[in-house]
This record gives sequence, structure tokens and C-alpha cells, in this order.
Amino acid sequence: MKKLSIFLVLGVLVLSSPAWALSKQVDVKINGLVCDFCAQAMEKVFGKQDEVADISVDLDTKIVTINMKDGQNMDDDFITKLITDSGYNVEEIMRHE
Amino acid sequence: MFRFLMLSVLGLCVFALPGQARPVSYPGGVTVMTMNNGDRNSLHIHYSPTAFYSVGYLAEYWRESETTLQMVQVNNLLKRWNNKDSQANLYLKSGIGAAYSDYGDFDHDSDMAAFTGIAADWESRRFFVSYSNRYNDFGEFGDFYMQSGRVGIAPYIGDYGDLHTWLMLEIDHNPESSDPLTYTPMVRFFKDVHLVEAGMSDRGEVLFNYVVRF
Repeated sequence: MKKLSIFLVLGVLVLSSPAWALSKQVDVKINGLVCDFCAQAMEKVFGKQDEVADISVDLDTKIVTINMKDGQNMDDDFITKLITDSGYNVEEIMRHE
Repeated sequence: MFRFLMLSVLGLCVFALPGQARPVSYPGGVTVMTMNNGDRNSLHIHYSPTAFYSVGYLAEYWRESETTLQMVQVNNLLKRWNNKDSQANLYLKSGIGAAYSDYGDFDHDSDMAAFTGIAADWESRRFFVSYSNRYNDFGEFGDFYMQSGRVGIAPYIGDYGDLHTWLMLEIDHNPESSDPLTYTPMVRFFKDVHLVEAGMSDRGEVLFNYVVRF
């Protein structure tokens, strides 16, 4: 009975967690990414964040892929703020487990 | 005839010119630029506390008047337009400091000096267009206005980290000069944090610019 209760509680927690709490990879589509200096700006800004394991930039798709460290994450508002403060605009944030 | 040819080349290149190094970097970024052409040599080192302005040191040497400038320069990003496949910027660039000259009637003279101007650019990964102007007041050494435009095209589009190549044409207009227009075709190479531009003007003067960003 005790085990069943624990599983139920865990199940509720998992189902009620925000999507970002589980995502290890975040793809961010950004407007204004037109050159290597722009890509370097993204690498520098996200590289300073403790939560980030590594990032990659695809200038063709204008997508920045952010891989999070184990157990770490960033919410959409914070990602948007970092990009906006760097002088660019977020078009879309996509999360993957 | 040469001007006609240059204008023709310009017309062709309107599809494809590359851009100038931006005067504001990412937050915490440091940029070193050295620009050298027939009129002047300059060194500009700036730090960007935010992505919207930078503060730095500017040294310039104007060859014909043998005038040296030492200035504090501030660059403000007034407006940026981020589009899906392009970006456009409007900057205000200003400097204040001292001018020094030992040329002609001047005898190790120095005076306050300042400049201000607007710079605008639009670029995609294939094309580049820019315009900038600058009003200079070098105190007892005189004041003058100048403007410059550039167009560029990338013959191929490289991925991030590749060697990028641009073919560009710069037109400089110095209204007070006896020969006010200068045309400088050039090639730009851009890889990692390094950007190099090399060209030769219609007067046979060499252009060499180097930019590195940290």
C-alpha cells in the first residue's frame, strides 16, 4: 500500500511538472542570426550559464541548440531574456527530452 | 571611364556586398579594429557592457594633415531590425578627445577634437549594404564632413566556422577634397573571430582592415 502511494505521488508529480523541467535539449529559433559574429554571441552568452553543457548554432535554420547539464534547465522566459539582451529576437522555443 | 566602370561594377554588386564590422558587440565583448586606407590609419578598441552600446579608445592618424587624434569613443545601437533572414542596424557613433599636429604652420599644437555620425547597415548571408557619415571638429585644425557607403556580396554561403568570403565596394565621399570620391573594391575574409579586408582604391591606395573580437 505504501509503495502504491509513492508511485501515485511520483506519477502525479511527473504529470504535473512543467515541460521545461524534463528537457535536456532546447532548440531556439532566432531572428537576426546572419553571421558568425551573431553565432559567437550566442555561444558566449549561453556558455557563461552554469546550466548549459554546450550549444551549437545552425545559421541555415537560424536555430540555436542548447544542451543542458544533467538535472539542470532554464525556463523559456530566461532563455528569451538572454537572447533579447544580446540584441536578437526569439521566434520559437522547442524542447526535447 | 574608370568611374563609369566602377559604377557598373557597383550596380552589379548591389546584389552581393558584405558588411562592416559592427561597432557594438555582445554583452561583455571586446573588439579590436585597425583600419588603414589612403586617408588615415586608425585603431579602435571597444568594450560592450550591453549589446546596445560600447565604450572604447580611438587613435587616428590623418596622413595628409599629419594630424593625430586620441579619443574616447561611444557607439550606441539606436535600433535593430531582426528579420528571419536579415538584420539591419542604426548606430550613433561619437568621440571626444584631443588632436595634435606638427604640420605646416602648426608647431606641436594640440586642441580639443570631437566627431559624431550615424551608421546604418543591412545584411543577409548573401548581401550587404551600409552607409555612414561623420562630422569632425578638430579645433584649430579644422572641421569637415565625410560619408561612406558600401555594398557587398558573398560568392558562396559558408556554414558557421567556415572561411567566409565577401566581395565589396566602398565609396568614400569627402566633399571638401579636390577629388571628393574614392572607390575601393576589396575582398573580405572572415573566419572565427578574425576579419580581414584588403583592397586598392581607384587612386592606387591600399586598404587594409583587421578586426578581432573576444
